[in-house]
Amino acid sequence: MSLNASLSIAVESLNAASGALQATNNNIANANTPGYTREVPVLVSEAPISIFGHGATVGDGVDLTKFQSVRDELLQTQIQQETSSQSGANAQLNALQQIEPTFTTSSQDIGTEMSAFFSSISTLSTNPSDAGSREAVLSAGQNLADAFNTASSALTSQQASLNTLVTRDVSQINQLTKQIAALTPQINALEAAGQDGGTLEDQQNQLILSLSKLTNVSITQSNDGVTISTGSGTALVVGNQSFNLQTTTGNDGMTHVLDQNGMDITSSITGGDLGGSIQTRDTAISGLLTQLNTLANQFASAMNAAQVSGYDQNGDAGTDFFKSSGASATISAGTIEVAIADPSQIAASSDGSSGGNGNLANFTAVQSKALPAGLTPGDAYANLVYQVGSLTSNANAESTATTTSLNQLNDQLSAVSGVSIDEESANLIQYQQAYEAAARVVSTIQDLLTVTMSMGTAAAE
Amino acid sequence: MRVTSLLPDIQYQMQQSQQAMATAEQQVSTGLRVNQLSDDPAASANMVVSLAESANIDQYTSNVNSVLPRMQATGSALSSIVSSLNSAITLGTSGANSDLQTDQKQAIAAEVQSDLSSVIAQANTEFNGVYVFGGSETTTPPFVAASTTYNSSQGSVGNPLTTSTALTAGSITAISDATTGQTMTFKAQAGDTIATLQQAVTNAVNAGTLSAGTTAAIDAQGQLSIETNNTADGIVVSSDDAALGTMSADPTTAVANAYAYVGNGTVNSVQVGDSLSVATNMPGSQLFTSGANVLGSLTSLINALQSGDTNQVGAATTAVSSALSYVSDQRVPFDGAINQLNSQESYLSDEKVNLTSQQNSLVGINLADAASNLSQAQLDNNAVLAAAAKVMPQTLLDYLK
Repeated sequence: MSLNASLSIAVESLNAASGALQATNNNIANANTPGYTREVPVLVSEAPISIFGHGATVGDGVDLTKFQSVRDELLQTQIQQETSSQSGANAQLNALQQIEPTFTTSSQDIGTEMSAFFSSISTLSTNPSDAGSREAVLSAGQNLADAFNTASSALTSQQASLNTLVTRDVSQINQLTKQIAALTPQINALEAAGQDGGTLEDQQNQLILSLSKLTNVSITQSNDGVTISTGSGTALVVGNQSFNLQTTTGNDGMTHVLDQNGMDITSSITGGDLGGSIQTRDTAISGLLTQLNTLANQFASAMNAAQVSGYDQNGDAGTDFFKSSGASATISAGTIEVAIADPSQIAASSDGSSGGNGNLANFTAVQSKALPAGLTPGDAYANLVYQVGSLTSNANAESTATTTSLNQLNDQLSAVSGVSIDEESANLIQYQQAYEAAARVVSTIQDLLTVTMSMGTAAAE
Repeated sequence: MRVTSLLPDIQYQMQQSQQAMATAEQQVSTGLRVNQLSDDPAASANMVVSLAESANIDQYTSNVNSVLPRMQATGSALSSIVSSLNSAITLGTSGANSDLQTDQKQAIAAEVQSDLSSVIAQANTEFNGVYVFGGSETTTPPFVAASTTYNSSQGSVGNPLTTSTALTAGSITAISDATTGQTMTFKAQAGDTIATLQQAVTNAVNAGTLSAGTTAAIDAQGQLSIETNNTADGIVVSSDDAALGTMSADPTTAVANAYAYVGNGTVNSVQVGDSLSVATNMPGSQLFTSGANVLGSLTSLINALQSGDTNQVGAATTAVSSALSYVSDQRVPFDGAINQLNSQESYLSDEKVNLTSQQNSLVGINLADAASNLSQAQLDNNAVLAAAAKVMPQTLLDYLK
């Protein structure tokens, strides 16, 4: 091997060490960059060459072929799925935590107002002719109706807020899918050249992770790049193409999600902030609202039945105690209100006598009698309270569990792809020493060349 | 396994321990284990039921406190009535002595008259605005001195009422008969006239609600005149019909010692427990005019004493004795109800304590446990922070020169 060939190996070695230092430098620089995957230099020994024509071969140095990002696709997929689950649970938790206070025992919740209403009726029974006690029954009745109205409003307001979130999430999904698709050609070009996608792929993965926070997605890789679809199969990204989702207001007043063809995919969306919001809006809150409306309606019907079975202070047959304030005559939690304005119209009497209280027993019996839905009004409300608490508690547990799981997965991914400052510091020394050694080789060869060049000169002297 | 950075785990652990500390602190400061529904959904739901039961207990207690004094006042009135009846029996017994002179019997009659007045006063006992013996008609005195004739204020010679005079729809005209002890209540419907009222009076007479001979007619003054020919007992008439005006008794037709009951026979019950209701009143009709007829027996004794007939006095005194027995019999269940209320008040008080204890166990936390939890949480938090402080600054760079 000639000195020139050796010098060439030394220069390659310098380049390799320099490149490795560059990779280490970049790793250290991005140690805190979210989604960054550490890169390692890929060093390959050059093919051996024959020296001195005797068949003896020796290595021909090193070649820094590329920088390789250290990835674990499986872990990344698991993290995306778990992120989706966590965001979904958090969305449910946030929404439910906002309605939880409405059903928490206070001076104005339905349970307290219902007790106050029955108490006022019981007080009236002790002196049915007392105008103040009659007025108190009307007042307590309206307070109870207000409590129903407030609870209904809290639930419907939360649904309206979630509608806004659905629109915002869909908008963000469309932006993200557009950005993800835009990166695909650049990554494909790099890979076609035999290079690693590197930071471009990191960026794309980070965008996919952000997308996972919004909805559950299914990801496949092909030669054309990444293909992303919703959990139910609606395509969002195919290679360098993205497909926008749309929103529209349905007949139920809720914001629905449509695919690029206008098909309603609302009910099939799961996971992520969007899935969690839709599930809370259409399942949890909708279920609570149905039960609340049933309770208000059946309670009002029972009280009205009691009222019409008696006689008011004027000896007239009782008329409905509660009515609907809405366009529909059907009483719901949102529309319930007291129907009578004159306290003398409370049908306390069962025999038409102005001071009779016989019919008030029918009023108070409503408290302990099962409504058509199967529970007493108090038990029905307690059941509602249990469900609000249980839904919130379950969402909280789900959020905690997914957070713990996600932390573990992130630890695992970090173990593979994360940057260790200590490790990079060691690498720094390693590549620094390699560079110094290669430089020493260059220096030595320079000395040898000098000696070689001076061989003739020395003989002539 | 490569460990690249401890920071995410440390941050998570710090959050967890601080959350635990915040929870423990809230439990200490509120004394509650359950501060929101999701802390314990089942306990929260049970709390709703328990609080409703508490509210009921409070209300039952309030009901007891409301009706008990009234019932005690009723009981006190009954005691006075018993005293008056005993007094009348003593007077009747002495009045039955054939040796007594007429003026002596008149004097005794006057004393019995006083007892009757006392009984009437007790029968019209009012407690906190409630006439306790009026049935459910509690706003007016239940026993009113009777007359044989009542006239309307509306109508005059120049502008007389007629049988076709329209009555006000919804108005009520009531005729209480001291003889039958019953009341005819006429509620005018749209289109009704005085003729309709007249027919109602006739129907009531036929039904026995009013005494025979009770009529409603337009008199010579052009007023509606409601009369009875039963001069021994009389009637009491009232009306809120503007077309008739006030129905007033003709003062010249007042019947001595006759009182008509203008209340009703309704017994109001009040709930004082989940499955316990007590009758809180005793209608005057049940006590004074039906059964042994307290008022009638006293009136008969006065009349007998005034007539001077010893046999009649003796018979009337026996009737008063029967009335006394009747009142005593009626009083037994009423006194029983008062005793029941006193017992119930005590039971409700105990029940309230039980419910409060139940509520504490549902959502409350023992202060010692809460303080212990807080100490533990602080200890855990200190350990997490100390561990973080130990490992976070460590790096290879510290050792490289």
